[in-house]
Formats: sequence, structure tokens, C-alpha cells
Amino acid sequence: MAWSKNGFSAVWKITLVSALLLAAACSHTVSVDGRYPQPVGQQHPLTVGIYLSDEFRKFTHHEDSADRDEWNINTGKAQKNLFETVLGSMFTEAVSLSQYPQDLPKNVELVIVPEVRELQFTMPRENRVNIFEVWIKYDMHAYDQRGESVANWVITAYGKTPTAFLKSQEDALAQAINIALRDAGATLYTGFERVPELQAFLANKQRALSMKGDETAGEETTE
Amino acid sequence: MAKSIFVFALVLLSGCTTVVIDEYRRSDGELARGDSVVILGRRHSSEYETEPDLIDCVGRRLHNPKRGVTVIPEQHFVDAMYPWFEPRTAPMHLKSLDRLVDIPEVRERMETYGVKYIVWIDGSTETTASAGSIGCSIGTGGAGCFGFGTWDKESDYEASVWDFRDRELSGKLSADAKGTSYMPAIVVPIPLIARVQNNACKGMAAQLQQFLLPAQPAGGKSSSS
Repeated sequence: MAWSKNGFSAVWKITLVSALLLAAACSHTVSVDGRYPQPVGQQHPLTVGIYLSDEFRKFTHHEDSADRDEWNINTGKAQKNLFETVLGSMFTEAVSLSQYPQDLPKNVELVIVPEVRELQFTMPRENRVNIFEVWIKYDMHAYDQRGESVANWVITAYGKTPTAFLKSQEDALAQAINIALRDAGATLYTGFERVPELQAFLANKQRALSMKGDETAGEETTE
Repeated sequence: MAKSIFVFALVLLSGCTTVVIDEYRRSDGELARGDSVVILGRRHSSEYETEPDLIDCVGRRLHNPKRGVTVIPEQHFVDAMYPWFEPRTAPMHLKSLDRLVDIPEVRERMETYGVKYIVWIDGSTETTASAGSIGCSIGTGGAGCFGFGTWDKESDYEASVWDFRDRELSGKLSADAKGTSYMPAIVVPIPLIARVQNNACKGMAAQLQQFLLPAQPAGGKSSSS
């Protein structure tokens, strides 16, 4: 009986370990940790607060459908680096906010809050071309000093890696995500002024600055 | 003796690649001391991507400061000019380059790097056909493979040379390479690989050197095998 009990226990352990190994074989984890360059160009004359929520900083896309293996794709750290670098260079002053809307510094004129709306990817066997593709969609929100919405816009990003370049599926997907994140940064930088509400906000700021400049010049002339 | 014949046969078989370079030149090369060249791959197509290793290969072969050719590595340049040379933002035509240069910071950085020529390479290397089969087996007496496999590869690249300072198209080059690789397996598989992409790279780099440097005789059409 003792042998039988031990035998059953050993079989149970082997089955459990095998099941875990099989599950692990069908599960993929990708952690993207990219560093991104600072954009080259003119800075907007604004003091901006950047609020990246905990959910955004730790974002993980989980997918486990019937026709696909299980995928856990963590882009939180990489997208935090990207938005901090790009937004940090886009304006004359950028402040990273640990919380929002509480304790907003008084000099902050605009607060930018990004959110991930969705992340999608395709594998080479799913598309006709031998390419890993990634799409990321961000919802962007801008608020003024009083917390009122100034603008809401969407950034779509795309990245791809041909299979010929890959070392593993995970590496290829991480590379495609990095390219998509660079694309997101490029769209954020080049598209900011094209959002009508932000264009108006920037025009108001420019007008205020030029009026202030005129007043200062006038005072100097009077003196 | 047998060994020499085997090595000779290997060299003959593995060297089976044909490269054809065509050139269209609108102006003579004006690369001067202190000038630099940027070689970039086009990545906008949804069906293929110009391989970074090809761009790297052409750049390494062309880079020769003693002869007056300084090449800025692709990734270094793309990072330094971020976000203006990303797949979706890169200028597709010279008019777009004009608009880009209107941004003072971009112009200043390009001038700091001393960029004279921007070379855009577009194309890819693909396997066009394959045939044969190889079977491997393991037994108590040992392991071995038997069979024969063959595959064809084709490279098709076009390089557009933009003169950054004069904002004009200096010319175009194209490199078409074809080659067949073989893999006979008699116990051990012996790969006889045709280095199609590498030969396209060599041909393109040699032609670009003639193209960019002044007072160099221009080759109209060349072919090697």
C-alpha cells in the first residue's frame, strides 16, 4: 500500500511537472525596455506636466486565444521612457507628475496624460508576408491648469520586423514593438501642432508672449 | 590531390553568383575632405524591408577616410535626427527634404555632420525557388543525413543618391544579383552557399565609391560572376 501511495504520488508529480512544462512551452513573455533619442526641433513655449499613471508605467498586454499561444507583452517601461523623453524635449519646461490632479504645480500650463487604448500584433504565419507586425493606439488627453479638458486626440503607431532578422519570436516581437514606439514618438512630436485645439492653445500662448514682449519694450522706452 | 580537387570544386560551386550593376548619373561626384555620406535603407513598404545588415555592409565597405569617404552609420544618424528619418517621416522626395531643412535645428545638425550625400537604398533579397530534400536519421550504429537540396536567391536593390547641399538628385544605381545554393548530404550535409546579398553589397559599394568621389572614371555597366 505504501509503495502504491508513493507510486501514485510520483506519477502525480510527473504529470504536474509535464503539464507545467507544456503550458510554459506555449506561453511567451516579452518585456520591452527601450531607450529613445531626444527629438530634434523647436520647443513649444509651454510649461507642461506629464502624468503617466501606474497602469501606463506597468502596462502589460495579455492575450490567450484559442488560435494562438499565450502572450504576455510588457511595454510599460519602454513607453514610460519614450513619453518622458519625447514630451520632455518638446516643451521649454516639462514636469513629471507623480499624481494628478492633486498637488499640481502652479507654473504648469498644460497637463498631458497618455493612455494605451489597444495593442495588436500579427505573427508571420498569420499574414501572407513573413513579417512580425505591431500596432499600438494611444488616447492622448490634455488638461489646463484648472483641470478642464483642452484636447483629446489619438496616436496610432506601427512597427514591423521581417522574420529573416529574428533570433526568436520574442526578440522579433520586441524589436517590432520598439519600432512601433519610435513611430509613436515621431507621431506625437510631429502631430502635436496639428491638433486644432492644441494649435489654438499654442497660438494664445504665443500671442500672450508677444504682448508681454511689447509691454516690456514699451516700459524700457518710457524709462 | 583529392583534397585539392574537393576544395576547388567547393570554391567553384559556392561562387555561383551573378551581379549586374547599372548606373544613371546626373552630376559628377563632389565629395570633398570633411564631407560625409549617409546610407539609409527604405523601410516604408508593407511587404519587405531593406535589410539593416546590407546597409551596414555597404557603409563598412564604402567608409574609407584615407580616400576621403566618411560614412555615418545608419542607426547613429537616424537617432541623431529623430524623428525625421523614421519609416513614416523620412523624406520620400527632394521636395520633402527641402521642407525638412526649413527647420533650423535639423539643418544645423546636418551641417554639423557635414552631410554632402544621402544615399537611399531600397530593395531586398528573397529566396525565389527551392527544390530537393534531405533526410537525417539516428540509430544505434550512428547518425547521418542523405539527400540533396538547392535554392535560388535574388537581390534587387536601387540606390538613389541625393546631394544634400545642392538639393538635387545626383543619380541612381541598381544592383541585381542572382545565385543558387546547394546542399548535398552524404552522411554530413555540405552547404555550398551563394552569397547573393553580400555580392550585391560589394558591387554596390564599389560603384558608389566611383560615383561619389570626384575625378574617378565612371563605370557605365558592369557585370561579375
